[in-house]
Amino acid sequence: MPSETLEAVREIRELSYAEAVREALGQAMEADERVFLFGEDVGVYGGAFGVSGDLVHRFGKERVIDTPISELGIAGAAVGAAITGMRPVLEIQFSDFVTLAMEQLVNQAAKIRFMFGGKASVPMVVRLPGGSGTGAAAQHSQSLEAWFAHVPGLKVLQPSTPHDAKGMLLAAIDDPNPVLIFEHKLLYKTKGHVPAEAYRVPIGKAAIRREGTDVTIVGSSIMARKAEAAAERLATEGISAEVIDLRSIRPIDFTTIAESVRKTHRLLVVYEGVKTMGIGAEISAMIAESEVFDFLDAPIIRLGGADAPIPYNPVLEKAAVPQEDDIVTAAANLVRRGEA
Amino acid sequence: MPIEVILPKVDMDMETGTIEAWHVKEGDRVRQGDTIFEIGTNKAVMEVEAPATGAIRNIKAQIGVPISVGTPVAWIYLDGEAATTPSEPAAAAATVAAATSVSKTEAPAAPVIAAAASPSGLRATPLARRIARQNGLDLRTVGGTGPRGRIGEADVKRHMEQRPRCAAAQEARPATAPSATASGDRLQPFSAIRRIVANRLSESMRTAPHFYLTSEIEMSAARDLLGRLARRHERIGAPKPSLTVLIARVAARILRDHPVINASTEGEATRFHERIDIGIAMERDGDLVVPVLRDAGGMDIPAMAREFARLREGMAKRTLTPAELGGGTFTISNLGMYGVDSFTAIINPPQGAILAVGRTIDKPVGRGGEIVLRPMASFTLSSDHRIVDGVAAARFMVDLREALENPELLL
Repeated sequence: MPSETLEAVREIRELSYAEAVREALGQAMEADERVFLFGEDVGVYGGAFGVSGDLVHRFGKERVIDTPISELGIAGAAVGAAITGMRPVLEIQFSDFVTLAMEQLVNQAAKIRFMFGGKASVPMVVRLPGGSGTGAAAQHSQSLEAWFAHVPGLKVLQPSTPHDAKGMLLAAIDDPNPVLIFEHKLLYKTKGHVPAEAYRVPIGKAAIRREGTDVTIVGSSIMARKAEAAAERLATEGISAEVIDLRSIRPIDFTTIAESVRKTHRLLVVYEGVKTMGIGAEISAMIAESEVFDFLDAPIIRLGGADAPIPYNPVLEKAAVPQEDDIVTAAANLVRRGEA
Repeated sequence: MPIEVILPKVDMDMETGTIEAWHVKEGDRVRQGDTIFEIGTNKAVMEVEAPATGAIRNIKAQIGVPISVGTPVAWIYLDGEAATTPSEPAAAAATVAAATSVSKTEAPAAPVIAAAASPSGLRATPLARRIARQNGLDLRTVGGTGPRGRIGEADVKRHMEQRPRCAAAQEARPATAPSATASGDRLQPFSAIRRIVANRLSESMRTAPHFYLTSEIEMSAARDLLGRLARRHERIGAPKPSLTVLIARVAARILRDHPVINASTEGEATRFHERIDIGIAMERDGDLVVPVLRDAGGMDIPAMAREFARLREGMAKRTLTPAELGGGTFTISNLGMYGVDSFTAIINPPQGAILAVGRTIDKPVGRGGEIVLRPMASFTLSSDHRIVDGVAAARFMVDLREALENPELLL
């Protein structure tokens, strides 16, 4: 095939989010024999959400390992493997189960590099399918990313597109420090342009998904996508919203948010995690403390998850987290009335 | 702790001032009492002295930008104080232009101009406050349309559009440098005083509907009186009174009977002044300044001559305070000594009237059916028709004529 045609194929190739993650895993394992995947049902079953798929057949049971149902055990094994030179990628079947692995992630993985003065590091990646919307109720639907963003030593990513899911996973595997990637369950089937080569999306850099002048909407993961859709609708109402997809919540790209707010003078932060003590509070406070405060023409508004466990009832489940309509209403009120 | 250098309040009703020039630069050593910068109020330019001895740092205020009274504009670090002490105020302020990323060690930069003058109890967004600060706008004059009356950016902008004066004042800021053209023209940016004069007089012409009444008044008696007063003042050691002093004395006396001429506009109201404070337009180095004979109504001629001489000297030596250069209730401008026959003057806002005096010259006039020569002078009263009507101004002119032609009647 002539090279121009190859280029064209690359341009239009679309993958689902899950396929993009799988492709990143495969490329990383091909390129570096230290990389291996383990977790509950990631092998023959192909992963609870089908992400690992056929990887066990391509790389064998030594590198795609089904583990017992013990998150603390898997996480501990990953920390040990990482310290001794491996590049483990571990899947927590539902991100909710990470509570069982907290000791290893928070007290060990996050701190070892500091406590050993850099002589040891923990280059591990934890993939965590999270979020609500699948009718999986209170113990399988949470958004716990803010818990980990609170821990110095951990990096926390929330890619929202297939493109970023692949590029950020590869960047995370390269990273010498523990990185947690929260993958939203509702995004796995979404499709998007994904280059075939092994590329990296830098950690800690937000993406401006849509430029606008009236209000800045900041979100990550599925909320970035909802914000984009909301911005489209707002445009038909004559409101120009700028949408920032955080992609990484720790480290957070404050500069991009600040520059946007300096321009739009209004900020709406949208996140699925519980609103109280969440990411929105942190972003709001950063803006309020900075010199950008002087450019605010309205209060900062947070749209976050309800102060309640995610309900099983599908109507209530939807109501418990910000939806596209909520974003449109809040942004329009912020621009028109100066309050949400 | 470093000593704060603030923008001082040098006048009663001063809310903002602009720094016209810095006499020091970052890091300079200053001694207490050294002049460190000049500020302009809406009336005058003042020198500000260093409050302490040390190194001047963190000079924040830019030249020509209105700053709220009380805002720190620099800090003086005392001897032995490191410039990097943790108490260093707003060390990052210089980088305010760009949004800075936040890391463990780097705090977000503080705003260059502190929100010191935020009128308390007022609902306004930070952006509205910022724009008001930059434009020297009093937010209390801006109506808020946001939730619970909050003032937002749109309110401030609308207000500024409705009051083009603010915008004009901004545009009147000096160009960065005088530029010469090929033709040899010289472009001289406005000095601080010129800017004040330009803004105030433009405002006056724009907002006050002027009308003018002129009277030719015989000055024989006034001249005689001045001659006699000169001899008497010599005996009592008072300065020789000038015609301007005599006119000021006469005006001060008759203004008592014409409260509407001794009045000012204030929003949509007339303020009748209890006291008669007469401003005298003077020239200094090509600039127009108006020192004020405070409580002129209560002065006799020797007292007025002394005060007039003191103001003249203070003006020449530049020791007059802004308080002595503002707040008059009526103004006299005498260009007679320059050979001007008659002229009309622009009202010094917010005053209601100004009296323009031309030269005294012998003119043929009719007296008892004969043409005779008499020393005559032209007096033109400019009045603000919003508060002064034609008849009220005419009555003042009648009394002025009577008083100048028969000064003994006032005694």
